[in-house]
Amino acid sequence: MVDLRRIDDTLYEIPAEARPDMRVPARVFADDELLASIRGEDSLAQLQNVATLPGIVEAAIAMPDIHQGYGFPVGGLAATELPDGVVSPGGVGYDINCGVRLLALPLTIDELGDRRQRLVHELSRAIPAGAGREGGRRVDVDEVLRNGSRTVAEREEDVERTESEGRLDGADPSAVSDRARKRGAGQLGTMGSGNHFVEVQAVDRVFDAAGADAFGLGERQVTVLIHSGSRGLGHQVCSDYVKRMDAVLGRYGIELPDRQLSCAPASSPEGQAYLAAMAASANFAWANRQEIANRTRASVARVLGDDTAANTRQVYDVAHNVAKPERHHGRAVLVHRKGATRAFPAGSDEIPAAYREVGQPVFIPGSMGTASYVLAGEPGSLRRSFGTTCHGAGRRLSRTAAKKEISGAELRRQLEGRGIVVASASNKGLAEEAPFAYKDVEAVVDVVARAGLARRVARLVPIGVVKG
Amino acid sequence: MYEWRSHTAEIELAVDAGSPEEVFVEAVHALAELISLGRDAEPQSNRVAIEAADLGALLVEWLEELIVLADTESFVPERVDDLRIDETSLTATLVGRGGPIDPLVKAATYHGLRFARDDGVWQARVVLDV
Repeated sequence: MVDLRRIDDTLYEIPAEARPDMRVPARVFADDELLASIRGEDSLAQLQNVATLPGIVEAAIAMPDIHQGYGFPVGGLAATELPDGVVSPGGVGYDINCGVRLLALPLTIDELGDRRQRLVHELSRAIPAGAGREGGRRVDVDEVLRNGSRTVAEREEDVERTESEGRLDGADPSAVSDRARKRGAGQLGTMGSGNHFVEVQAVDRVFDAAGADAFGLGERQVTVLIHSGSRGLGHQVCSDYVKRMDAVLGRYGIELPDRQLSCAPASSPEGQAYLAAMAASANFAWANRQEIANRTRASVARVLGDDTAANTRQVYDVAHNVAKPERHHGRAVLVHRKGATRAFPAGSDEIPAAYREVGQPVFIPGSMGTASYVLAGEPGSLRRSFGTTCHGAGRRLSRTAAKKEISGAELRRQLEGRGIVVASASNKGLAEEAPFAYKDVEAVVDVVARAGLARRVARLVPIGVVKG
Repeated sequence: MYEWRSHTAEIELAVDAGSPEEVFVEAVHALAELISLGRDAEPQSNRVAIEAADLGALLVEWLEELIVLADTESFVPERVDDLRIDETSLTATLVGRGGPIDPLVKAATYHGLRFARDDGVWQARVVLDV
């Protein structure tokens, strides 16, 4: 059993002395109940492994939605000192810039009425999901890799209301392999499989009126939440660079407790090449969610009319698998966020002017059929977690275990019984994402709110879901 | 023989075999079972050549080849011809068919990677990202 020391109500720590190879402590934000679930798997040992990385500063930090991953746990962050601390592709994950985008429609659930069914099915036709390579937008891939969202955006406001304006500096298309391009070909504007979705929702509760007002959200308002990433292109970039760095660990004198943590100094040729390829993949992901947003507006226009589509605003778009150079506590660091979301507080230059008085919007999807949250970044995130909060509910059960508990057809019946319209090509995929396979999003959000990392602004409940 | 083991957010392939070559062949059957949702009629073949740091890394890259062929060509392997391996390289011809693919698997990882001989049995463990 790992020796966890309680620091305060929401923070626990494994001291750096717990293992001879740890350079810094490992910290986890949680409550007693979440901690019991976290202790039931290997995620804390994985967090200790992260604490061994050369150049890591302060602590390896996990959010309350942490679960076991491969190499890095999912739901954690590591800041490494620049220029010579390491960059680790596994610290970003396979789905580079997996993230979430929220659109707000100019109508309430009552005004939507029984057109919700048509809207969900129109979205499922417009946004390809699951297998197959058809239906993506044909684009100049190099242009997308260099310039991200703006390449496909139909309105400038969407770009302004996207983290990093939908484009990371330093992207180099030539650092992305032909194989990665081939895997991403035809996938721009497609959702993918697994836990990716497009969900139609309604605001069921406003917690913070000023925040909700700034984000353009009101009680009973209809929203669309988009969850997707860099598709096959990002997966291949991660695979390419895990292998490339694994092969040169000896050259940099790096010893690791798990080969999936493979890494190289950020200043090394391998580190620089990965950062250039990762930025290009992140740009691809932002363009992908932008194209999904374009298609969402087109669907809204077909079902609800051109005026409704024209007044469908983007609230924001956040990445939850990415590494970014930032300044924290007086030094330049590379913040790896894997299943964790940037959550800068009010006053940050990095967030759109319209939100600068309330803090950066953060979206926390719950499991399918449960609530999702809109949060705003709080000052505690800068003090305690390198400007970071959680990213979701966090998986609790394996896909196999979920399928043993319920069939896709039965889950579909249950969701529809609660008034949620379901459009999913695969009953199996549906069962694997059953709500009970995830932790309680309410408990996760409660911890980050009490820890001062982010505050609740609004809660969204699903009225329709499109899945791969 | 092979077995798929399910963890919270990933699956692990466990292979026990009499030789390294057999590990690579079993891995093909295991992945085909996992990803295939049916097969079209026309047989196809794909020539594969891989280099990697050691036998474990070679197995990860072998699975990566299979995942990429499934992802980009909807190719489901059925058998392996002309398999040649040494510590750091592999060549083979994969024979199989096109068909619908379950898109769940994203990548083969180096997490908890094991490829070793124990009591005369070659044991391999690879975790896949799903």
